[in-house]
Amino acid sequence: METNNHSIETQNLSLWYGDFQALIDVSVNIPAGKITSLIGPSGCGKTTLLRCFNRVNERYGNVTTKGEIKILGKNIYDPDVSLLELRKTVGMVFQRPNPLPISVYDNILFGLRIHSPFGSLKRSQSDEIVEEALTSVFLWDDLKDKLKTRATSLQLEQQQKLCIARLLPLKPQIILMDEPCSALDAKGTLAVEELMSVLAGTYTFLIVTHNMAQARRVSSECIYMFLGELIEHRETQALFETPEHPKTADYVQMRYG
Amino acid sequence: MKRSVLIYQSIALITLAVAFILLWSFSKGTPFVESGLTFDETAADSYAVLQENLYRMVPILLGSIFFSIAIAFYLEEWLAQTSWIYGIVAQQITILASIPSLLYGLLALYFFVLQSEKGSFFTHALTVVLLVMPITIQSTQMAIRGVDISVREAAFALGANRWRVVIDHVFPNAFSTIVAGICTAISRALAISALIIVVYFWREPALQSGDTFNVPSSVIVLLSSALLSSVISSFLEKKANLT
Repeated sequence: METNNHSIETQNLSLWYGDFQALIDVSVNIPAGKITSLIGPSGCGKTTLLRCFNRVNERYGNVTTKGEIKILGKNIYDPDVSLLELRKTVGMVFQRPNPLPISVYDNILFGLRIHSPFGSLKRSQSDEIVEEALTSVFLWDDLKDKLKTRATSLQLEQQQKLCIARLLPLKPQIILMDEPCSALDAKGTLAVEELMSVLAGTYTFLIVTHNMAQARRVSSECIYMFLGELIEHRETQALFETPEHPKTADYVQMRYG
Repeated sequence: MKRSVLIYQSIALITLAVAFILLWSFSKGTPFVESGLTFDETAADSYAVLQENLYRMVPILLGSIFFSIAIAFYLEEWLAQTSWIYGIVAQQITILASIPSLLYGLLALYFFVLQSEKGSFFTHALTVVLLVMPITIQSTQMAIRGVDISVREAAFALGANRWRVVIDHVFPNAFSTIVAGICTAISRALAISALIIVVYFWREPALQSGDTFNVPSSVIVLLSSALLSSVISSFLEKKANLT
Protein backbone atom coordinates (compact mmCIF):
# COMPACT_ATOMS: atom_id res chain seq x y z
CA MET A 1 0.00 0.00 0.00
CA GLU A 2 1.61 3.25 -1.09
CA THR A 3 -0.50 5.62 0.94
CA ASN A 4 -1.30 4.21 4.31
CA ASN A 5 -2.31 7.52 5.78
CA HIS A 6 -5.32 7.91 3.49
CA SER A 7 -8.57 6.27 4.53
CA ILE A 8 -10.50 7.13 1.41
CA GLU A 9 -9.15 7.70 -2.09
CA THR A 10 -11.19 8.37 -5.19
CA GLN A 11 -9.99 8.50 -8.79
CA ASN A 12 -12.05 10.37 -11.41
CA LEU A 13 -15.30 9.56 -9.68
CA SER A 14 -18.36 10.54 -11.70
CA LEU A 15 -21.95 9.84 -10.77
CA TRP A 16 -25.23 10.27 -12.60
CA TYR A 17 -28.81 10.26 -11.30
CA GLY A 18 -30.50 9.25 -14.55
CA ASP A 19 -29.26 11.89 -17.01
CA PHE A 20 -28.16 14.37 -14.38
CA GLN A 21 -24.48 14.30 -13.57
CA ALA A 22 -24.08 14.97 -9.87
CA LEU A 23 -20.35 14.33 -9.54
CA ILE A 24 -17.78 15.26 -12.17
CA ASP A 25 -14.33 13.64 -12.07
CA VAL A 26 -13.81 13.89 -8.34
CA SER A 27 -10.36 12.80 -7.20
CA VAL A 28 -9.76 13.18 -3.52
CA ASN A 29 -7.72 11.68 -0.69
CA ILE A 30 -9.12 11.80 2.81
CA PRO A 31 -6.47 11.56 5.54
CA ALA A 32 -6.83 8.87 8.18
CA GLY A 33 -7.59 9.75 11.78
CA LYS A 34 -8.55 13.34 11.09
CA ILE A 35 -11.72 15.34 10.64
CA THR A 36 -12.27 16.48 7.07
CA SER A 37 -15.17 18.75 6.21
CA LEU A 38 -17.02 19.04 2.93
CA ILE A 39 -18.47 22.46 2.22
CA GLY A 40 -20.24 24.06 -0.71
CA PRO A 41 -23.61 25.46 -1.73
CA SER A 42 -26.72 23.23 -1.77
CA GLY A 43 -26.87 20.76 -4.63
CA CYS A 44 -23.12 20.75 -5.21
CA GLY A 45 -22.78 17.02 -4.60
CA LYS A 46 -21.40 16.97 -1.06
CA THR A 47 -23.97 14.55 0.27
CA THR A 48 -23.81 12.47 -2.91
CA LEU A 49 -20.06 12.11 -2.53
CA LEU A 50 -20.44 11.17 1.13
CA ARG A 51 -23.07 8.57 0.34
CA CYS A 52 -20.83 6.95 -2.28
CA PHE A 53 -18.42 5.89 0.43
CA ASN A 54 -20.70 3.31 1.99
CA ARG A 55 -22.71 2.72 -1.15
CA VAL A 56 -26.06 3.82 0.27
CA ASN A 57 -26.59 5.71 -3.01
CA GLU A 58 -27.22 2.48 -4.85
CA ARG A 59 -30.57 2.00 -3.22
CA TYR A 60 -32.05 4.70 -5.42
CA GLY A 61 -32.50 2.80 -8.70
CA ASN A 62 -31.11 4.88 -11.55
CA VAL A 63 -27.65 5.68 -10.25
CA THR A 64 -24.60 5.18 -12.51
CA THR A 65 -21.12 5.44 -11.07
CA LYS A 66 -17.79 5.60 -12.92
CA GLY A 67 -14.30 5.81 -11.54
CA GLU A 68 -12.74 4.27 -8.49
CA ILE A 69 -13.26 4.54 -4.76
CA LYS A 70 -10.72 2.94 -2.47
CA ILE A 71 -11.48 2.59 1.19
CA LEU A 72 -8.49 1.55 3.26
CA GLY A 73 -6.76 0.63 0.00
CA LYS A 74 -9.57 -1.61 -1.28
CA ASN A 75 -11.75 -0.74 -4.24
CA ILE A 76 -15.32 -0.87 -2.92
CA TYR A 77 -16.78 -1.70 -6.33
CA ASP A 78 -14.78 -4.93 -6.60
CA PRO A 79 -17.09 -7.91 -6.96
CA ASP A 80 -15.70 -9.58 -3.83
CA VAL A 81 -16.58 -6.66 -1.56
CA SER A 82 -19.39 -7.44 0.85
CA LEU A 83 -21.75 -4.56 1.51
CA LEU A 84 -22.14 -5.87 5.04
CA GLU A 85 -18.43 -5.54 5.76
CA LEU A 86 -18.19 -2.19 3.99
CA ARG A 87 -20.97 -0.73 6.09
CA LYS A 88 -19.38 -2.12 9.19
CA THR A 89 -16.14 -0.32 8.37
CA VAL A 90 -17.82 2.87 7.20
CA GLY A 91 -20.47 4.11 9.60
CA MET A 92 -22.87 6.90 8.78
CA VAL A 93 -24.65 9.56 10.83
CA PHE A 94 -27.55 11.32 9.16
CA GLN A 95 -28.86 14.86 9.03
CA ARG A 96 -31.87 14.17 11.20
CA PRO A 97 -31.18 11.99 14.20
CA ASN A 98 -32.62 8.64 13.21
CA PRO A 99 -32.47 6.20 16.10
CA LEU A 100 -34.43 3.07 15.33
CA PRO A 101 -37.83 3.02 17.05
CA ILE A 102 -36.67 0.42 19.59
CA SER A 103 -35.08 0.75 23.02
CA VAL A 104 -31.80 2.57 23.62
CA TYR A 105 -30.20 -0.74 24.55
CA ASP A 106 -31.33 -2.47 21.36
CA ASN A 107 -30.29 0.49 19.24
CA ILE A 108 -26.71 0.15 20.39
CA LEU A 109 -26.72 -3.59 19.80
CA PHE A 110 -28.61 -3.61 16.49
CA GLY A 111 -25.51 -3.27 14.31
CA LEU A 112 -23.56 -5.80 16.30
CA ARG A 113 -26.38 -8.33 16.19
CA ILE A 114 -26.44 -8.12 12.40
CA HIS A 115 -22.74 -8.76 12.19
CA SER A 116 -22.43 -11.60 14.67
CA PRO A 117 -23.89 -15.10 14.46
CA PHE A 118 -27.23 -15.62 16.18
CA GLY A 119 -26.98 -16.21 19.92
CA SER A 120 -23.27 -15.50 20.13
CA LEU A 121 -23.74 -12.37 22.23
CA LYS A 122 -23.86 -13.08 25.95
CA ARG A 123 -26.01 -10.91 28.16
CA SER A 124 -23.12 -9.71 30.33
CA GLN A 125 -21.07 -9.04 27.23
CA SER A 126 -23.77 -6.94 25.63
CA ASP A 127 -24.32 -4.98 28.85
CA GLU A 128 -20.64 -4.14 28.80
CA ILE A 129 -20.72 -3.10 25.14
CA VAL A 130 -23.71 -0.83 25.70
CA GLU A 131 -22.06 0.82 28.69
CA GLU A 132 -18.82 1.32 26.80
CA ALA A 133 -20.52 2.81 23.74
CA LEU A 134 -22.68 5.16 25.80
CA THR A 135 -19.74 6.21 27.95
CA SER A 136 -17.66 7.16 24.93
CA VAL A 137 -20.39 9.54 23.71
CA PHE A 138 -20.91 10.91 27.27
CA LEU A 139 -24.45 9.58 27.49
CA TRP A 140 -24.01 6.86 30.10
CA ASP A 141 -24.73 9.06 33.11
CA ASP A 142 -27.89 10.44 31.54
CA LEU A 143 -29.21 7.21 30.14
CA LYS A 144 -28.07 4.44 32.44
CA ASP A 145 -31.52 4.30 34.04
CA LYS A 146 -33.32 4.69 30.75
CA LEU A 147 -31.85 1.86 28.71
CA LYS A 148 -35.28 0.35 28.13
CA THR A 149 -36.96 3.56 26.95
CA ARG A 150 -37.75 4.01 23.30
CA ALA A 151 -34.86 5.82 21.65
CA THR A 152 -37.15 8.08 19.66
CA SER A 153 -38.44 9.65 22.87
CA LEU A 154 -35.04 11.07 23.86
CA GLN A 155 -33.99 14.68 23.33
CA LEU A 156 -32.67 15.40 19.83
CA GLU A 157 -29.14 15.93 21.06
CA GLN A 158 -29.19 12.62 22.90
CA GLN A 159 -30.66 10.93 19.84
CA GLN A 160 -27.86 12.18 17.62
CA LYS A 161 -25.22 11.10 20.13
CA LEU A 162 -26.93 7.73 20.32
CA CYS A 163 -26.70 7.48 16.53
CA ILE A 164 -22.95 7.94 16.86
CA ALA A 165 -22.78 5.55 19.80
CA ARG A 166 -24.49 2.72 17.93
CA LEU A 167 -21.71 2.77 15.32
CA LEU A 168 -18.96 2.29 17.87
CA PRO A 169 -19.52 -1.38 18.84
CA LEU A 170 -18.91 -2.26 15.17
CA LYS A 171 -15.46 -0.72 15.46
CA PRO A 172 -15.71 1.31 12.26
CA GLN A 173 -12.65 2.97 10.75
CA ILE A 174 -14.48 5.80 9.10
CA ILE A 175 -17.52 7.76 10.24
CA LEU A 176 -19.44 9.76 7.64
CA MET A 177 -21.61 12.59 8.92
CA ASP A 178 -24.21 14.34 6.84
CA GLU A 179 -24.87 17.69 8.50
CA PRO A 180 -25.01 16.04 11.91
CA CYS A 181 -25.83 19.24 13.78
CA SER A 182 -28.38 20.88 11.52
CA ALA A 183 -31.27 19.65 13.67
CA LEU A 184 -29.61 20.56 16.97
CA ASP A 185 -29.46 23.77 18.97
CA ALA A 186 -26.22 25.53 19.89
CA LYS A 187 -25.68 23.45 23.02
CA GLY A 188 -26.30 20.20 21.18
CA THR A 189 -24.01 21.26 18.36
CA LEU A 190 -21.24 22.05 20.80
CA ALA A 191 -21.68 18.68 22.49
CA VAL A 192 -21.49 16.77 19.21
CA GLU A 193 -18.47 18.77 18.06
CA GLU A 194 -16.65 18.08 21.31
CA LEU A 195 -17.45 14.44 20.93
CA MET A 196 -16.00 14.45 17.43
CA SER A 197 -12.76 16.04 18.54
CA VAL A 198 -12.40 13.44 21.27
CA LEU A 199 -13.08 10.56 18.90
CA ALA A 200 -10.91 11.88 16.04
CA GLY A 201 -7.67 10.01 15.97
CA THR A 202 -9.40 6.73 16.64
CA TYR A 203 -11.75 7.27 13.72
CA THR A 204 -11.58 9.12 10.43
CA PHE A 205 -14.38 11.67 10.22
CA LEU A 206 -15.82 13.08 7.03
CA ILE A 207 -18.45 15.69 7.73
CA VAL A 208 -20.75 17.55 5.37
CA THR A 209 -21.75 20.92 6.73
CA HIS A 210 -23.44 24.12 5.65
CA ASN A 211 -22.09 25.89 8.66
CA MET A 212 -18.71 27.33 7.73
CA ALA A 213 -17.95 28.31 11.29
CA GLN A 214 -18.39 24.68 12.21
CA ALA A 215 -16.10 23.51 9.41
CA ARG A 216 -13.50 25.95 10.69
CA ARG A 217 -13.91 24.86 14.30
CA VAL A 218 -13.79 21.11 13.95
CA SER A 219 -11.97 20.07 10.81
CA SER A 220 -8.31 19.91 10.04
CA GLU A 221 -8.81 19.62 6.29
CA CYS A 222 -11.55 21.12 4.18
CA ILE A 223 -12.91 20.37 0.73
CA TYR A 224 -14.86 22.92 -1.28
CA MET A 225 -17.22 21.60 -3.95
CA PHE A 226 -19.20 23.47 -6.56
CA LEU A 227 -21.73 22.01 -9.04
CA GLY A 228 -20.40 18.48 -8.75
CA GLU A 229 -16.74 19.39 -9.07
CA LEU A 230 -14.08 19.42 -6.42
CA ILE A 231 -12.68 22.95 -6.48
CA GLU A 232 -10.22 23.02 -3.65
CA HIS A 233 -8.93 20.67 -0.96
CA ARG A 234 -6.49 22.06 1.60
CA GLU A 235 -5.94 22.47 5.27
CA THR A 236 -8.92 24.21 6.79
CA GLN A 237 -7.12 27.30 7.97
CA ALA A 238 -5.37 27.81 4.65
CA LEU A 239 -8.56 27.27 2.70
CA PHE A 240 -10.43 29.86 4.70
CA GLU A 241 -7.68 32.43 4.98
CA THR A 242 -5.89 32.21 1.66
CA PRO A 243 -8.17 30.40 -0.78
CA GLU A 244 -6.42 29.65 -4.06
CA HIS A 245 -9.43 29.40 -6.30
CA PRO A 246 -11.61 32.48 -6.89
CA LYS A 247 -14.79 30.36 -6.50
CA THR A 248 -13.64 29.19 -3.08
CA ALA A 249 -12.83 32.75 -2.12
CA ASP A 250 -16.31 33.87 -3.15
CA TYR A 251 -17.90 31.19 -1.01
CA VAL A 252 -15.80 31.31 2.14
CA GLN A 253 -15.81 35.08 2.21
CA MET A 254 -19.59 34.97 1.95
CA ARG A 255 -19.78 36.69 -1.39
CA TYR A 256 -21.69 33.69 -2.66
CA GLY A 257 -24.06 31.12 -1.20
CA MET B 1 -49.90 6.90 -14.82
CA LYS B 2 -52.61 9.39 -15.63
CA ARG B 3 -55.70 9.61 -13.50
CA SER B 4 -57.98 9.80 -16.52
CA VAL B 5 -56.52 6.56 -17.90
CA LEU B 6 -57.32 4.87 -14.62
CA ILE B 7 -60.87 6.17 -14.59
CA TYR B 8 -61.51 5.08 -18.18
CA GLN B 9 -60.08 1.64 -17.51
CA SER B 10 -62.20 1.22 -14.40
CA ILE B 11 -65.33 2.24 -16.27
CA ALA B 12 -64.46 -0.14 -19.09
CA LEU B 13 -63.88 -2.98 -16.66
CA ILE B 14 -67.13 -2.37 -14.80
CA THR B 15 -69.08 -2.17 -18.05
CA LEU B 16 -67.48 -5.39 -19.26
CA ALA B 17 -68.32 -7.20 -16.04
CA VAL B 18 -71.93 -6.09 -16.07
CA ALA B 19 -72.22 -6.94 -19.77
CA PHE B 20 -70.74 -10.35 -19.08
CA ILE B 21 -73.24 -11.10 -16.34
CA LEU B 22 -76.16 -9.96 -18.46
CA LEU B 23 -75.03 -11.82 -21.58
CA TRP B 24 -74.37 -14.96 -19.58
CA SER B 25 -77.84 -14.97 -18.11
CA PHE B 26 -79.45 -14.17 -21.46
CA SER B 27 -77.56 -16.96 -23.13
CA LYS B 28 -78.92 -19.33 -20.51
CA GLY B 29 -82.37 -18.10 -21.33
CA THR B 30 -83.08 -16.78 -17.84
CA PRO B 31 -83.34 -13.04 -17.52
CA PHE B 32 -81.18 -11.87 -14.64
CA VAL B 33 -83.87 -9.97 -12.82
CA GLU B 34 -86.62 -12.54 -12.77
CA SER B 35 -84.91 -15.88 -12.95
CA GLY B 36 -87.12 -18.78 -12.08
CA LEU B 37 -88.25 -18.57 -8.52
CA THR B 38 -89.54 -22.06 -8.29
CA PHE B 39 -88.24 -23.78 -5.26
CA ASP B 40 -88.65 -27.24 -4.00
CA GLU B 41 -87.55 -29.08 -0.93
CA THR B 42 -83.92 -28.86 -2.01
CA ALA B 43 -83.91 -25.16 -1.22
CA ALA B 44 -83.16 -25.77 2.41
CA ASP B 45 -80.30 -28.03 1.40
CA SER B 46 -78.85 -25.43 -0.84
CA TYR B 47 -79.10 -22.84 1.94
CA ALA B 48 -77.09 -25.19 4.09
CA VAL B 49 -74.59 -25.50 1.28
CA LEU B 50 -74.37 -21.73 1.07
CA GLN B 51 -73.69 -21.47 4.77
CA GLU B 52 -71.19 -24.26 4.65
CA ASN B 53 -69.47 -22.48 1.80
CA LEU B 54 -69.24 -19.36 3.91
CA TYR B 55 -67.35 -21.31 6.54
CA ARG B 56 -65.15 -22.77 3.88
CA MET B 57 -64.36 -19.24 2.79
CA VAL B 58 -62.47 -18.59 6.02
CA PRO B 59 -59.24 -20.32 4.92
CA ILE B 60 -59.56 -18.67 1.50
CA LEU B 61 -59.93 -15.32 3.22
CA LEU B 62 -56.91 -15.87 5.45
CA GLY B 63 -54.87 -17.17 2.53
CA SER B 64 -55.70 -14.19 0.35
CA ILE B 65 -54.81 -11.80 3.17
CA PHE B 66 -51.49 -13.52 3.61
CA PHE B 67 -50.79 -13.37 -0.11
CA SER B 68 -51.84 -9.73 -0.30
CA ILE B 69 -49.36 -8.77 2.39
CA ALA B 70 -46.62 -10.75 0.67
CA ILE B 71 -47.41 -9.12 -2.68
CA ALA B 72 -47.46 -5.65 -1.16
CA PHE B 73 -44.07 -6.18 0.48
CA TYR B 74 -42.64 -7.59 -2.72
CA LEU B 75 -43.90 -4.61 -4.72
CA GLU B 76 -42.71 -1.98 -2.27
CA GLU B 77 -39.48 -3.43 -0.94
CA TRP B 78 -38.06 -5.68 -3.60
CA LEU B 79 -39.32 -4.51 -6.97
CA ALA B 80 -37.87 -1.27 -8.32
CA GLN B 81 -40.67 1.25 -8.70
CA THR B 82 -39.36 2.16 -12.13
CA SER B 83 -39.73 -1.36 -13.54
CA TRP B 84 -42.54 -2.07 -15.96
CA ILE B 85 -43.87 -4.99 -13.89
CA TYR B 86 -44.45 -2.61 -10.99
CA GLY B 87 -46.28 -0.20 -13.28
CA ILE B 88 -48.64 -2.83 -14.65
CA VAL B 89 -49.35 -4.60 -11.36
CA ALA B 90 -49.87 -1.36 -9.42
CA GLN B 91 -52.25 -0.09 -12.11
CA GLN B 92 -54.35 -3.25 -12.12
CA ILE B 93 -54.53 -3.28 -8.32
CA THR B 94 -55.67 0.32 -8.25
CA ILE B 95 -58.39 -0.45 -10.78
CA LEU B 96 -59.62 -3.53 -8.93
CA ALA B 97 -59.59 -1.74 -5.60
CA SER B 98 -61.54 1.20 -6.94
CA ILE B 99 -64.44 -0.91 -8.22
CA PRO B 100 -67.36 -0.50 -5.82
CA SER B 101 -67.91 -3.57 -3.67
CA LEU B 102 -71.51 -3.57 -4.80
CA LEU B 103 -70.35 -4.80 -8.19
CA TYR B 104 -68.55 -7.70 -6.59
CA GLY B 105 -71.70 -8.30 -4.61
CA LEU B 106 -73.66 -8.42 -7.85
CA LEU B 107 -71.18 -10.86 -9.30
CA ALA B 108 -71.36 -12.97 -6.18
CA LEU B 109 -75.13 -12.78 -6.06
CA TYR B 110 -75.34 -13.99 -9.59
CA PHE B 111 -73.02 -16.91 -9.13
CA PHE B 112 -73.94 -17.78 -5.55
CA VAL B 113 -77.64 -17.48 -5.75
CA LEU B 114 -78.95 -17.45 -9.26
CA GLN B 115 -76.58 -19.70 -11.06
CA SER B 116 -75.60 -22.50 -8.80
CA GLU B 117 -77.80 -25.13 -7.37
CA LYS B 118 -75.26 -26.39 -4.91
CA GLY B 119 -72.99 -23.41 -5.21
CA SER B 120 -69.70 -23.62 -6.91
CA PHE B 121 -66.85 -23.34 -4.51
CA PHE B 122 -64.58 -21.90 -7.17
CA THR B 123 -66.75 -18.89 -7.97
CA HIS B 124 -67.26 -18.15 -4.29
CA ALA B 125 -63.54 -18.27 -3.66
CA LEU B 126 -62.89 -16.06 -6.68
CA THR B 127 -65.32 -13.45 -5.42
CA VAL B 128 -63.75 -13.38 -1.98
CA VAL B 129 -60.27 -13.11 -3.48
CA LEU B 130 -61.33 -10.30 -5.84
CA LEU B 131 -63.07 -8.47 -3.04
CA VAL B 132 -60.35 -8.74 -0.43
CA MET B 133 -57.00 -8.82 -2.20
CA PRO B 134 -56.84 -5.47 -4.01
CA ILE B 135 -57.86 -3.45 -0.95
CA THR B 136 -55.54 -5.34 1.35
CA ILE B 137 -52.62 -4.96 -1.05
CA GLN B 138 -53.29 -1.26 -1.43
CA SER B 139 -53.63 -0.54 2.27
CA THR B 140 -50.52 -2.60 3.04
CA GLN B 141 -48.61 -0.65 0.39
CA MET B 142 -49.71 2.59 2.02
CA ALA B 143 -48.67 1.28 5.43
CA ILE B 144 -45.22 0.32 4.12
CA ARG B 145 -44.75 3.70 2.47
CA GLY B 146 -45.76 5.31 5.76
CA VAL B 147 -42.69 3.92 7.52
CA ASP B 148 -40.22 6.76 7.77
CA ILE B 149 -37.37 6.61 5.26
CA SER B 150 -34.89 7.48 8.00
CA VAL B 151 -35.60 4.19 9.77
CA ARG B 152 -34.69 2.29 6.64
CA GLU B 153 -31.61 4.39 5.99
CA ALA B 154 -30.40 3.90 9.54
CA ALA B 155 -30.77 0.14 9.35
CA PHE B 156 -29.25 -0.13 5.87
CA ALA B 157 -26.31 2.05 6.85
CA LEU B 158 -25.60 -0.27 9.77
CA GLY B 159 -25.28 -3.12 7.30
CA ALA B 160 -28.70 -4.73 7.60
CA ASN B 161 -29.92 -6.54 4.50
CA ARG B 162 -33.38 -6.15 3.04
CA TRP B 163 -34.94 -9.05 4.96
CA ARG B 164 -33.59 -7.77 8.20
CA VAL B 165 -34.89 -4.27 7.58
CA VAL B 166 -38.33 -5.56 6.61
CA ILE B 167 -38.70 -8.02 9.48
CA ASP B 168 -37.12 -5.91 12.23
CA HIS B 169 -38.38 -2.48 11.31
CA VAL B 170 -40.76 -1.99 8.41
CA PHE B 171 -43.21 -4.72 9.42
CA PRO B 172 -43.47 -3.88 13.15
CA ASN B 173 -43.86 -0.18 12.36
CA ALA B 174 -46.47 -0.72 9.68
CA PHE B 175 -48.28 -3.47 11.59
CA SER B 176 -51.24 -1.59 13.05
CA THR B 177 -51.95 0.18 9.77
CA ILE B 178 -51.78 -3.14 7.93
CA VAL B 179 -54.24 -4.73 10.39
CA ALA B 180 -56.53 -1.72 10.04
CA GLY B 181 -56.55 -2.25 6.26
CA ILE B 182 -57.29 -5.94 6.67
CA CYS B 183 -60.20 -5.18 8.99
CA THR B 184 -61.66 -2.78 6.43
CA ALA B 185 -61.38 -5.42 3.71
CA ILE B 186 -62.92 -8.10 5.90
CA SER B 187 -65.80 -5.89 6.94
CA ARG B 188 -66.50 -5.24 3.27
CA ALA B 189 -66.53 -8.96 2.55
CA LEU B 190 -68.74 -9.69 5.56
CA ALA B 191 -71.25 -7.02 4.62
CA ILE B 192 -71.52 -8.37 1.11
CA SER B 193 -71.97 -11.92 2.46
CA ALA B 194 -74.78 -10.69 4.68
CA LEU B 195 -76.40 -9.05 1.68
CA ILE B 196 -76.24 -12.27 -0.30
CA ILE B 197 -77.77 -14.31 2.48
CA VAL B 198 -80.61 -11.82 2.88
CA VAL B 199 -81.38 -11.89 -0.81
CA TYR B 200 -81.12 -15.64 -0.85
CA PHE B 201 -83.44 -15.99 2.09
CA TRP B 202 -85.88 -13.52 0.70
CA ARG B 203 -86.51 -15.42 -2.47
CA GLU B 204 -86.83 -18.81 -0.83
CA PRO B 205 -90.34 -19.17 0.52
CA ALA B 206 -89.37 -22.60 1.77
CA LEU B 207 -87.19 -20.98 4.40
CA GLN B 208 -89.82 -18.53 5.60
CA SER B 209 -92.21 -19.33 8.34
CA GLY B 210 -95.66 -17.97 7.72
CA ASP B 211 -96.03 -14.36 6.66
CA THR B 212 -93.24 -12.82 8.65
CA PHE B 213 -89.90 -12.26 7.12
CA ASN B 214 -87.27 -13.79 9.36
CA VAL B 215 -83.84 -12.37 9.23
CA PRO B 216 -81.46 -15.27 9.44
CA SER B 217 -79.28 -15.20 12.52
CA SER B 218 -76.19 -15.60 10.40
CA VAL B 219 -76.90 -12.21 8.84
CA ILE B 220 -76.98 -10.61 12.26
CA VAL B 221 -73.71 -12.29 13.15
CA LEU B 222 -72.12 -11.21 9.86
CA LEU B 223 -73.29 -7.62 10.09
CA SER B 224 -72.24 -7.23 13.70
CA SER B 225 -68.81 -8.68 12.92
CA ALA B 226 -68.56 -6.28 10.00
CA LEU B 227 -69.36 -3.43 12.34
CA LEU B 228 -66.91 -4.69 14.93
CA SER B 229 -64.11 -4.99 12.44
CA SER B 230 -64.75 -1.46 11.15
CA VAL B 231 -64.53 -0.21 14.71
CA ILE B 232 -61.27 -2.10 15.28
CA SER B 233 -59.95 -0.74 12.02
CA SER B 234 -60.67 2.89 12.87
CA PHE B 235 -59.27 2.42 16.36
CA LEU B 236 -56.03 0.98 14.97
CA GLU B 237 -55.75 3.71 12.40
CA LYS B 238 -56.07 6.33 15.10
CA LYS B 239 -53.46 4.56 17.16
CA ALA B 240 -51.09 4.33 14.19
CA ASN B 241 -51.47 8.05 13.55
CA LEU B 242 -50.67 8.87 17.16
CA THR B 243 -47.37 7.04 17.36
